[in-house]
Amino acid sequence: MSAPVILETKGLIATLTINRPEARNAMSIEILDGMHKAVDEVASSDASVLVITGAGRAFCAGMDLKAVLIELSGDPGLGEELLTSLAKLTLKIRKLAQVTVASVNGAAIGGGCGLTCVCDVTVSHADAKLGFPEVDLGICPAVIAPWVVKKLGGGVARKVMLMGGVMSGQEAKDIGLVDHLADDRDGLAELTQTIADRLATGGPKALAATKGLLNEIDGSNEAQMVLKGAKLSAAVLATPEAQAALAARLK
Amino acid sequence: MIKVELQDQIAIVSLDRPEKRNAMVPEMLSQLDQEIKNCAHKARALVILGEGKTFCAGFDLKMCANDPGGETMRQLLTGLSMVVRTMRAIEVPVVLGVHGAAVAGGCAMLGGADIVIADEQAKLGYPVVKIGVSPAVSAAFMMASITPGAVRTRLVDTELISGIEAKRIGLVHETVENRDDVRGRAVEIAEILAKKPGSAIRATKSWLNEICEPMTNNAQAGLDVSLSLTGSPEEQERLAALWG
Repeated sequence: MSAPVILETKGLIATLTINRPEARNAMSIEILDGMHKAVDEVASSDASVLVITGAGRAFCAGMDLKAVLIELSGDPGLGEELLTSLAKLTLKIRKLAQVTVASVNGAAIGGGCGLTCVCDVTVSHADAKLGFPEVDLGICPAVIAPWVVKKLGGGVARKVMLMGGVMSGQEAKDIGLVDHLADDRDGLAELTQTIADRLATGGPKALAATKGLLNEIDGSNEAQMVLKGAKLSAAVLATPEAQAALAARLK
Repeated sequence: MIKVELQDQIAIVSLDRPEKRNAMVPEMLSQLDQEIKNCAHKARALVILGEGKTFCAGFDLKMCANDPGGETMRQLLTGLSMVVRTMRAIEVPVVLGVHGAAVAGGCAMLGGADIVIADEQAKLGYPVVKIGVSPAVSAAFMMASITPGAVRTRLVDTELISGIEAKRIGLVHETVENRDDVRGRAVEIAEILAKKPGSAIRATKSWLNEICEPMTNNAQAGLDVSLSLTGSPEEQERLAALWG
Protein backbone atom coordinates (compact mmCIF):
# COMPACT_ATOMS: atom_id res chain seq x y z
CA MET A 1 0.00 0.00 0.00
CA SER A 2 1.30 3.46 -0.87
CA ALA A 3 1.99 6.04 1.82
CA PRO A 4 -1.17 7.89 2.94
CA VAL A 5 0.67 11.20 2.93
CA ILE A 6 3.66 12.29 0.83
CA LEU A 7 5.96 15.05 2.03
CA GLU A 8 8.49 16.54 -0.39
CA THR A 9 10.75 19.53 0.12
CA LYS A 10 12.33 21.60 -2.66
CA GLY A 11 14.37 24.50 -1.41
CA LEU A 12 12.27 26.46 1.08
CA ILE A 13 8.96 24.96 -0.04
CA ALA A 14 7.54 21.78 1.50
CA THR A 15 4.59 20.06 -0.19
CA LEU A 16 2.23 17.74 1.68
CA THR A 17 0.12 15.59 -0.64
CA ILE A 18 -2.87 13.71 0.74
CA ASN A 19 -2.50 10.42 -1.08
CA ARG A 20 -5.67 8.39 -1.11
CA PRO A 21 -6.98 9.20 -4.58
CA GLU A 22 -9.20 6.10 -4.77
CA ALA A 23 -11.29 7.57 -1.90
CA ARG A 24 -11.02 11.21 -3.06
CA ASN A 25 -8.49 11.71 -0.24
CA ALA A 26 -11.14 11.29 2.44
CA MET A 27 -9.73 11.57 5.94
CA SER A 28 -9.38 8.18 7.58
CA ILE A 29 -7.36 7.59 10.76
CA GLU A 30 -4.37 6.60 8.58
CA ILE A 31 -4.59 9.82 6.57
CA LEU A 32 -4.94 11.97 9.70
CA ASP A 33 -2.04 10.20 11.44
CA GLY A 34 0.08 10.69 8.34
CA MET A 35 -0.80 14.38 8.18
CA HIS A 36 0.05 14.89 11.87
CA LYS A 37 3.46 13.29 11.30
CA ALA A 38 4.16 15.30 8.16
CA VAL A 39 3.16 18.60 9.79
CA ASP A 40 5.39 17.84 12.80
CA GLU A 41 8.23 17.22 10.39
CA VAL A 42 7.62 20.53 8.61
CA ALA A 43 7.47 22.38 11.95
CA SER A 44 11.02 21.36 12.79
CA SER A 45 12.35 21.92 9.25
CA ASP A 46 13.94 24.96 7.62
CA ALA A 47 11.11 25.31 5.09
CA SER A 48 9.39 28.72 4.89
CA VAL A 49 6.27 27.60 3.05
CA LEU A 50 4.04 24.53 3.32
CA VAL A 51 1.77 23.68 0.38
CA ILE A 52 -1.06 21.21 1.07
CA THR A 53 -2.68 19.48 -1.90
CA GLY A 54 -4.37 16.23 -2.90
CA ALA A 55 -3.30 13.35 -5.17
CA GLY A 56 -5.50 12.65 -8.19
CA ARG A 57 -8.72 14.53 -9.04
CA ALA A 58 -9.81 15.62 -5.54
CA PHE A 59 -8.23 17.81 -2.86
CA CYS A 60 -10.01 16.17 0.08
CA ALA A 61 -13.58 14.85 0.26
CA GLY A 62 -13.76 15.41 4.03
CA MET A 63 -14.22 12.81 6.74
CA ASP A 64 -14.22 9.19 5.67
CA LEU A 65 -17.98 8.55 5.75
CA LYS A 66 -17.47 4.78 5.85
CA ALA A 67 -15.51 5.20 9.08
CA VAL A 68 -18.16 7.34 10.77
CA LEU A 69 -21.14 5.20 9.75
CA ILE A 70 -21.42 2.99 12.82
CA GLU A 71 -23.22 0.15 11.02
CA LEU A 72 -20.20 -0.18 8.70
CA SER A 73 -17.31 0.54 11.07
CA GLY A 74 -18.83 -1.29 14.03
CA ASP A 75 -17.09 1.24 16.26
CA PRO A 76 -19.29 3.99 17.77
CA GLY A 77 -16.18 5.74 19.16
CA LEU A 78 -14.41 6.12 15.82
CA GLY A 79 -16.32 9.28 14.84
CA GLU A 80 -15.14 11.20 17.87
CA GLU A 81 -11.60 9.84 17.48
CA LEU A 82 -11.43 11.09 13.87
CA LEU A 83 -12.98 14.46 14.71
CA THR A 84 -10.64 15.01 17.66
CA SER A 85 -7.66 14.12 15.48
CA LEU A 86 -8.86 16.58 12.82
CA ALA A 87 -9.35 19.27 15.49
CA LYS A 88 -5.79 18.81 16.76
CA LEU A 89 -4.45 18.77 13.20
CA THR A 90 -6.09 22.11 12.39
CA LEU A 91 -4.60 23.67 15.54
CA LYS A 92 -1.17 22.27 14.65
CA ILE A 93 -1.30 23.61 11.07
CA ARG A 94 -2.46 27.04 12.27
CA LYS A 95 0.45 27.25 14.76
CA LEU A 96 3.13 26.49 12.13
CA ALA A 97 5.76 29.20 11.72
CA GLN A 98 5.69 28.36 7.99
CA VAL A 99 3.21 30.12 5.72
CA THR A 100 0.62 27.56 4.65
CA VAL A 101 -0.96 27.36 1.21
CA ALA A 102 -3.89 25.13 0.30
CA SER A 103 -3.63 24.21 -3.37
CA VAL A 104 -7.16 22.99 -4.07
CA ASN A 105 -6.80 20.76 -7.11
CA GLY A 106 -10.36 19.39 -7.03
CA ALA A 107 -13.20 18.74 -4.58
CA ALA A 108 -12.63 20.25 -1.13
CA ILE A 109 -15.65 19.13 0.84
CA GLY A 110 -16.64 19.50 4.49
CA GLY A 111 -13.57 18.91 6.65
CA GLY A 112 -11.48 19.12 3.47
CA CYS A 113 -12.83 22.59 2.81
CA GLY A 114 -12.30 23.46 6.46
CA LEU A 115 -8.64 22.54 6.03
CA THR A 116 -8.32 25.24 3.37
CA CYS A 117 -9.70 27.83 5.84
CA VAL A 118 -6.99 26.93 8.36
CA CYS A 119 -4.30 27.71 5.78
CA ASP A 120 -3.03 31.26 5.32
CA VAL A 121 -3.59 31.34 1.56
CA THR A 122 -5.87 29.29 -0.69
CA VAL A 123 -5.21 28.74 -4.39
CA SER A 124 -7.67 26.92 -6.63
CA HIS A 125 -9.11 26.83 -10.13
CA ALA A 126 -12.46 27.78 -11.63
CA ASP A 127 -13.72 24.18 -11.99
CA ALA A 128 -12.93 23.02 -8.44
CA LYS A 129 -15.84 22.26 -6.11
CA LEU A 130 -15.75 23.57 -2.57
CA GLY A 131 -18.29 23.63 0.22
CA PHE A 132 -19.81 22.49 3.45
CA PRO A 133 -22.64 20.01 2.77
CA GLU A 134 -22.56 18.64 6.34
CA VAL A 135 -26.08 19.79 7.25
CA ASP A 136 -27.43 17.96 4.19
CA LEU A 137 -26.07 14.75 5.73
CA GLY A 138 -27.54 15.53 9.13
CA ILE A 139 -24.14 16.37 10.61
CA CYS A 140 -22.65 19.54 12.06
CA PRO A 141 -19.37 21.08 10.81
CA ALA A 142 -18.45 22.13 14.34
CA VAL A 143 -14.68 21.41 14.26
CA ILE A 144 -14.03 23.58 11.26
CA ALA A 145 -16.67 26.27 11.93
CA PRO A 146 -14.29 28.47 13.99
CA TRP A 147 -11.82 28.44 11.07
CA VAL A 148 -14.50 29.16 8.47
CA VAL A 149 -15.73 32.13 10.55
CA LYS A 150 -12.15 33.48 10.74
CA LYS A 151 -11.66 33.08 6.99
CA LEU A 152 -15.01 34.40 5.72
CA GLY A 153 -16.42 36.47 8.58
CA GLY A 154 -19.41 35.33 10.63
CA GLY A 155 -22.14 36.34 8.19
CA VAL A 156 -20.94 34.57 5.06
CA ALA A 157 -19.76 31.58 7.13
CA ARG A 158 -23.28 31.28 8.54
CA LYS A 159 -24.78 31.35 5.05
CA VAL A 160 -22.50 28.71 3.52
CA MET A 161 -22.64 26.36 6.49
CA LEU A 162 -26.44 26.52 6.96
CA MET A 163 -27.26 26.33 3.24
CA GLY A 164 -24.92 23.36 2.69
CA GLY A 165 -24.18 22.21 -0.85
CA VAL A 166 -21.04 23.01 -2.83
CA MET A 167 -19.87 25.94 -4.97
CA SER A 168 -17.51 26.41 -7.91
CA GLY A 169 -13.98 27.76 -7.57
CA GLN A 170 -15.23 31.05 -9.03
CA GLU A 171 -18.01 31.38 -6.43
CA ALA A 172 -15.51 30.50 -3.71
CA LYS A 173 -13.24 33.28 -4.97
CA ASP A 174 -16.16 35.74 -4.91
CA ILE A 175 -16.83 35.14 -1.20
CA GLY A 176 -13.16 35.05 -0.16
CA LEU A 177 -12.87 31.30 0.42
CA VAL A 178 -10.29 31.16 -2.40
CA ASP A 179 -7.63 33.88 -2.64
CA HIS A 180 -6.10 33.11 -6.04
CA LEU A 181 -7.86 31.39 -8.93
CA ALA A 182 -6.37 29.67 -11.99
CA ASP A 183 -8.54 29.52 -15.10
CA ASP A 184 -8.53 25.74 -15.13
CA ARG A 185 -7.08 22.68 -13.45
CA ASP A 186 -4.03 22.67 -15.76
CA GLY A 187 -3.08 26.16 -14.63
CA LEU A 188 -3.14 25.40 -10.91
CA ALA A 189 0.35 23.93 -10.47
CA GLU A 190 2.01 26.93 -12.07
CA LEU A 191 -0.06 29.44 -10.10
CA THR A 192 0.65 27.57 -6.86
CA GLN A 193 4.37 27.56 -7.62
CA THR A 194 4.37 31.31 -8.37
CA ILE A 195 2.62 32.12 -5.11
CA ALA A 196 4.70 29.70 -3.02
CA ASP A 197 7.91 31.14 -4.54
CA ARG A 198 6.78 34.66 -3.72
CA LEU A 199 5.83 33.72 -0.14
CA ALA A 200 9.21 32.02 0.28
CA THR A 201 10.96 35.34 -0.36
CA GLY A 202 9.71 36.55 3.04
CA GLY A 203 12.08 36.50 6.00
CA PRO A 204 11.23 33.39 8.06
CA LYS A 205 11.36 35.34 11.34
CA ALA A 206 9.19 38.16 9.96
CA LEU A 207 6.65 35.65 8.63
CA ALA A 208 6.55 33.70 11.89
CA ALA A 209 6.18 36.86 13.99
CA THR A 210 3.37 38.13 11.76
CA LYS A 211 1.52 34.84 11.82
CA GLY A 212 1.93 34.66 15.59
CA LEU A 213 0.38 38.08 16.02
CA LEU A 214 -2.52 37.35 13.66
CA ASN A 215 -3.22 34.11 15.51
CA GLU A 216 -3.30 35.97 18.78
CA ILE A 217 -5.58 38.72 17.50
CA ASP A 218 -8.12 36.44 15.84
CA GLY A 219 -8.30 33.89 18.64
CA SER A 220 -6.61 31.09 16.71
CA ASN A 221 -4.73 30.02 19.85
CA GLU A 222 -7.96 29.27 21.70
CA ALA A 223 -7.86 25.52 21.28
CA GLN A 224 -10.85 24.81 23.50
CA MET A 225 -13.45 25.98 20.93
CA VAL A 226 -12.07 23.66 18.24
CA LEU A 227 -11.80 20.72 20.65
CA LYS A 228 -15.31 21.39 21.96
CA GLY A 229 -16.39 21.42 18.31
CA ALA A 230 -15.14 17.84 17.95
CA LYS A 231 -17.32 16.72 20.89
CA LEU A 232 -20.37 18.55 19.54
CA SER A 233 -19.87 17.24 16.02
CA ALA A 234 -19.44 13.69 17.33
CA ALA A 235 -22.66 13.98 19.37
CA VAL A 236 -24.66 15.08 16.30
CA LEU A 237 -22.98 12.39 14.19
CA ALA A 238 -24.16 9.65 16.58
CA THR A 239 -27.86 10.64 16.32
CA PRO A 240 -30.14 8.23 14.42
CA GLU A 241 -31.07 11.08 12.02
CA ALA A 242 -27.43 11.59 11.01
CA GLN A 243 -26.65 7.88 10.80
CA ALA A 244 -29.70 7.32 8.57
CA ALA A 245 -28.73 10.22 6.27
CA LEU A 246 -25.15 8.91 6.00
CA ALA A 247 -26.33 5.38 5.27
CA ALA A 248 -28.60 6.72 2.51
CA ARG A 249 -25.72 8.70 1.00
CA LEU A 250 -23.41 5.68 0.93
CA LYS A 251 -26.03 3.52 -0.84
CA MET B 1 -48.77 45.95 12.56
CA ILE B 2 -47.31 42.48 12.20
CA LYS B 3 -48.71 39.89 9.82
CA VAL B 4 -48.02 36.18 10.22
CA GLU B 5 -48.51 33.52 7.55
CA LEU B 6 -47.97 29.93 8.58
CA GLN B 7 -47.27 27.64 5.66
CA ASP B 8 -46.40 23.98 5.57
CA GLN B 9 -43.02 24.10 7.31
CA ILE B 10 -42.17 27.78 7.31
CA ALA B 11 -43.55 30.95 8.88
CA ILE B 12 -43.55 34.36 7.21
CA VAL B 13 -43.54 37.28 9.63
CA SER B 14 -44.07 40.64 7.93
CA LEU B 15 -43.85 44.24 9.05
CA ASP B 16 -47.33 45.45 8.16
CA ARG B 17 -47.61 49.22 8.24
CA PRO B 18 -47.19 49.87 4.51
CA GLU B 19 -48.72 53.36 4.55
CA LYS B 20 -45.74 54.43 6.72
CA ARG B 21 -43.16 52.36 4.82
CA ASN B 22 -43.26 50.00 7.81
CA ALA B 23 -41.77 52.61 10.11
CA MET B 24 -41.30 51.09 13.55
CA VAL B 25 -43.26 52.11 16.63
CA PRO B 26 -42.68 50.51 20.06
CA GLU B 27 -45.83 48.38 19.97
CA MET B 28 -44.86 46.98 16.56
CA LEU B 29 -41.43 45.89 17.84
CA SER B 30 -42.87 44.09 20.85
CA GLN B 31 -45.43 42.35 18.62
CA LEU B 32 -42.64 41.39 16.22
CA ASP B 33 -40.52 39.97 19.04
CA GLN B 34 -43.46 37.93 20.33
CA GLU B 35 -44.42 36.60 16.88
CA ILE B 36 -40.84 35.55 16.08
CA LYS B 37 -40.75 33.60 19.35
CA ASN B 38 -44.17 32.02 18.67
CA CYS B 39 -43.30 31.03 15.12
CA ALA B 40 -40.01 29.47 16.17
CA HIS B 41 -42.06 26.72 17.83
CA LYS B 42 -44.37 26.20 14.86
CA ALA B 43 -42.01 26.27 11.88
CA ARG B 44 -38.66 24.84 10.77
CA ALA B 45 -37.54 28.14 9.21
CA LEU B 46 -38.67 31.78 9.43
CA VAL B 47 -38.91 34.48 6.80
CA ILE B 48 -39.02 38.16 7.74
CA LEU B 49 -40.41 40.57 5.13
CA GLY B 50 -42.07 43.95 4.81
CA GLU B 51 -45.49 44.64 3.28
CA GLY B 52 -45.93 47.33 0.66
CA LYS B 53 -43.32 49.17 -1.37
CA THR B 54 -40.29 48.81 0.91
CA PHE B 55 -39.00 46.57 3.67
CA CYS B 56 -38.61 49.20 6.41
CA ALA B 57 -37.82 52.91 6.73
CA GLY B 58 -36.58 52.63 10.34
CA PHE B 59 -38.07 54.25 13.44
CA ASP B 60 -41.18 56.41 13.15
CA LEU B 61 -39.34 59.63 13.96
CA LYS B 62 -42.43 61.81 14.21
CA MET B 63 -43.15 60.06 17.48
CA CYS B 64 -39.68 60.92 18.78
CA ALA B 65 -39.78 64.66 18.08
CA ASN B 66 -41.05 66.84 20.95
CA ASP B 67 -40.14 64.14 23.42
CA PRO B 68 -37.45 65.81 25.57
CA GLY B 69 -37.36 62.86 27.97
CA GLY B 70 -36.56 60.64 24.99
CA GLU B 71 -38.92 57.93 26.23
CA THR B 72 -40.19 56.85 22.79
CA MET B 73 -36.67 56.65 21.40
CA ARG B 74 -35.65 54.57 24.42
CA GLN B 75 -38.49 52.15 23.81
CA LEU B 76 -37.66 51.88 20.11
CA LEU B 77 -33.95 51.24 20.67
CA THR B 78 -34.62 48.70 23.40
CA GLY B 79 -37.31 46.97 21.32
CA LEU B 80 -35.06 46.83 18.25
CA SER B 81 -32.17 45.35 20.22
CA MET B 82 -34.53 42.75 21.65
CA VAL B 83 -35.85 41.74 18.21
CA VAL B 84 -32.35 41.31 16.77
CA ARG B 85 -31.26 39.22 19.75
CA THR B 86 -34.41 37.09 19.51
CA MET B 87 -33.85 36.44 15.79
CA ARG B 88 -30.38 35.17 16.62
CA ALA B 89 -31.39 33.20 19.71
CA ILE B 90 -34.25 31.12 18.27
CA GLU B 91 -33.28 27.61 17.21
CA VAL B 92 -34.59 27.76 13.66
CA PRO B 93 -32.86 29.69 10.85
CA VAL B 94 -34.11 33.15 9.87
CA VAL B 95 -34.17 34.43 6.29
CA LEU B 96 -34.70 38.17 5.85
CA GLY B 97 -35.78 39.71 2.54
CA VAL B 98 -35.14 43.39 1.82
CA HIS B 99 -37.09 44.92 -1.05
CA GLY B 100 -36.79 48.61 -1.84
CA ALA B 101 -35.13 49.89 1.31
CA ALA B 102 -33.87 48.89 4.75
CA VAL B 103 -32.92 52.07 6.51
CA ALA B 104 -31.57 52.66 10.04
CA GLY B 105 -33.57 50.43 12.41
CA GLY B 106 -34.75 48.48 9.36
CA CYS B 107 -31.17 47.80 8.35
CA ALA B 108 -30.25 46.90 11.95
CA MET B 109 -32.58 43.91 11.67
CA LEU B 110 -30.20 42.34 9.13
CA GLY B 111 -27.82 41.70 12.04
CA GLY B 112 -30.07 39.04 13.53
CA ALA B 113 -30.77 37.14 10.30
CA ASP B 114 -28.93 34.01 9.20
CA ILE B 115 -29.46 34.68 5.49
CA VAL B 116 -30.25 38.04 3.87
CA ILE B 117 -31.71 38.55 0.38
CA ALA B 118 -32.11 41.98 -1.23
CA ASP B 119 -32.92 43.40 -4.62
CA GLU B 120 -29.97 44.85 -6.51
CA GLN B 121 -31.27 48.41 -6.33
CA ALA B 122 -32.41 48.30 -2.70
CA LYS B 123 -31.13 51.12 -0.51
CA LEU B 124 -29.48 50.06 2.73
CA GLY B 125 -27.74 51.99 5.49
CA TYR B 126 -27.68 53.56 8.94
CA PRO B 127 -28.06 57.32 8.39
CA VAL B 128 -28.88 58.13 12.01
CA VAL B 129 -25.93 60.22 13.22
CA LYS B 130 -27.39 63.15 11.28
CA ILE B 131 -30.39 63.15 13.62
CA GLY B 132 -28.15 62.95 16.69
CA VAL B 133 -28.76 59.23 17.25
CA SER B 134 -25.93 56.71 17.69
CA PRO B 135 -26.22 53.47 15.67
CA ALA B 136 -24.08 51.73 18.32
CA VAL B 137 -27.06 49.46 18.98
CA SER B 138 -26.30 47.72 15.66
CA ALA B 139 -22.54 47.40 16.04
CA ALA B 140 -22.15 44.10 17.90
CA PHE B 141 -24.19 42.00 15.48
CA MET B 142 -22.62 43.69 12.46
CA MET B 143 -19.16 42.89 13.83
CA ALA B 144 -20.27 39.27 14.04
CA SER B 145 -21.04 39.20 10.31
CA ILE B 146 -18.91 41.63 8.29
CA THR B 147 -15.40 43.06 8.57
CA PRO B 148 -14.71 45.60 11.32
CA GLY B 149 -13.61 48.09 8.67
CA ALA B 150 -16.93 47.89 6.84
CA VAL B 151 -18.87 48.20 10.12
CA ARG B 152 -17.01 51.41 10.94
CA THR B 153 -17.63 52.94 7.50
CA ARG B 154 -21.31 52.07 7.45
CA LEU B 155 -22.04 53.36 10.96
CA VAL B 156 -20.33 56.76 10.74
CA ASP B 157 -21.44 57.51 7.16
CA THR B 158 -25.04 58.47 6.39
CA GLU B 159 -24.76 57.09 2.85
CA LEU B 160 -27.28 54.52 1.65
CA ILE B 161 -25.68 51.73 -0.38
CA SER B 162 -27.23 49.50 -3.05
CA GLY B 163 -28.08 45.86 -2.66
CA ILE B 164 -25.12 45.06 -4.92
CA GLU B 165 -22.68 46.97 -2.72
CA ALA B 166 -24.23 45.48 0.41
CA LYS B 167 -23.56 42.02 -1.03
CA ARG B 168 -19.97 42.97 -1.77
CA ILE B 169 -19.36 43.84 1.89
CA GLY B 170 -21.25 40.78 3.12
CA LEU B 171 -24.24 42.54 4.67
CA VAL B 172 -26.44 40.82 2.06
CA HIS B 173 -25.80 37.24 0.92
CA GLU B 174 -27.73 37.11 -2.31
CA THR B 175 -29.33 39.67 -4.60
CA VAL B 176 -32.23 39.36 -7.03
CA GLU B 177 -32.73 41.70 -9.97
CA ASN B 178 -36.26 42.87 -9.23
CA ARG B 179 -37.75 43.91 -5.92
CA ASP B 180 -40.85 41.84 -6.69
CA ASP B 181 -38.73 38.68 -6.62
CA VAL B 182 -37.40 39.16 -3.09
CA ARG B 183 -40.33 37.48 -1.37
CA GLY B 184 -40.31 34.46 -3.67
CA ARG B 185 -36.59 33.86 -3.28
CA ALA B 186 -36.62 34.37 0.51
CA VAL B 187 -39.48 31.86 0.84
CA GLU B 188 -37.67 29.42 -1.45
CA ILE B 189 -34.51 29.57 0.69
CA ALA B 190 -36.53 29.06 3.88
CA GLU B 191 -38.18 26.02 2.29
CA ILE B 192 -34.77 24.60 1.36
CA LEU B 193 -33.59 25.11 4.96
CA ALA B 194 -36.79 23.59 6.35
CA LYS B 195 -36.19 20.38 4.41
CA LYS B 196 -32.68 19.85 5.80
CA PRO B 197 -32.17 17.59 8.84
CA GLY B 198 -33.46 19.69 11.74
CA SER B 199 -31.02 18.63 14.44
CA ALA B 200 -28.03 19.39 12.21
CA ILE B 201 -29.39 22.85 11.36
CA ARG B 202 -30.16 23.64 15.00
CA ALA B 203 -26.75 22.42 16.19
CA THR B 204 -24.93 24.38 13.48
CA LYS B 205 -26.83 27.62 14.12
CA SER B 206 -26.32 27.46 17.87
CA TRP B 207 -22.64 26.56 17.48
CA LEU B 208 -22.10 29.54 15.15
CA ASN B 209 -23.84 31.73 17.74
CA GLU B 210 -21.41 30.46 20.38
CA ILE B 211 -18.38 31.07 18.13
CA CYS B 212 -19.56 34.65 17.55
CA GLU B 213 -20.30 35.36 21.22
CA PRO B 214 -17.10 37.36 21.83
CA MET B 215 -18.67 39.95 19.50
CA THR B 216 -22.38 39.61 20.17
CA ASN B 217 -21.75 39.82 23.93
CA ASN B 218 -21.30 43.54 23.29
CA ALA B 219 -24.94 43.94 22.22
CA GLN B 220 -26.04 45.35 25.57
CA ALA B 221 -23.08 47.75 25.72
CA GLY B 222 -24.00 49.02 22.24
CA LEU B 223 -27.62 49.51 23.24
CA ASP B 224 -26.49 51.41 26.34
CA VAL B 225 -24.40 53.79 24.20
CA SER B 226 -27.39 54.48 21.95
CA LEU B 227 -29.64 54.95 24.98
CA SER B 228 -27.20 57.39 26.59
CA LEU B 229 -27.99 59.98 23.90
CA THR B 230 -31.76 59.74 23.89
CA GLY B 231 -33.51 63.01 24.60
CA SER B 232 -30.25 64.95 24.30
CA PRO B 233 -30.45 68.57 23.07
CA GLU B 234 -28.54 67.60 19.89
CA GLU B 235 -31.02 64.84 19.08
CA GLN B 236 -34.09 66.94 19.94
CA GLU B 237 -32.91 69.91 17.84
CA ARG B 238 -32.16 67.73 14.86
CA LEU B 239 -35.41 65.79 15.09
CA ALA B 240 -37.39 69.03 15.37
CA ALA B 241 -35.56 70.39 12.31
CA LEU B 242 -36.79 67.43 10.24
CA TRP B 243 -40.27 68.89 10.34
CA GLY B 244 -39.01 72.50 10.49
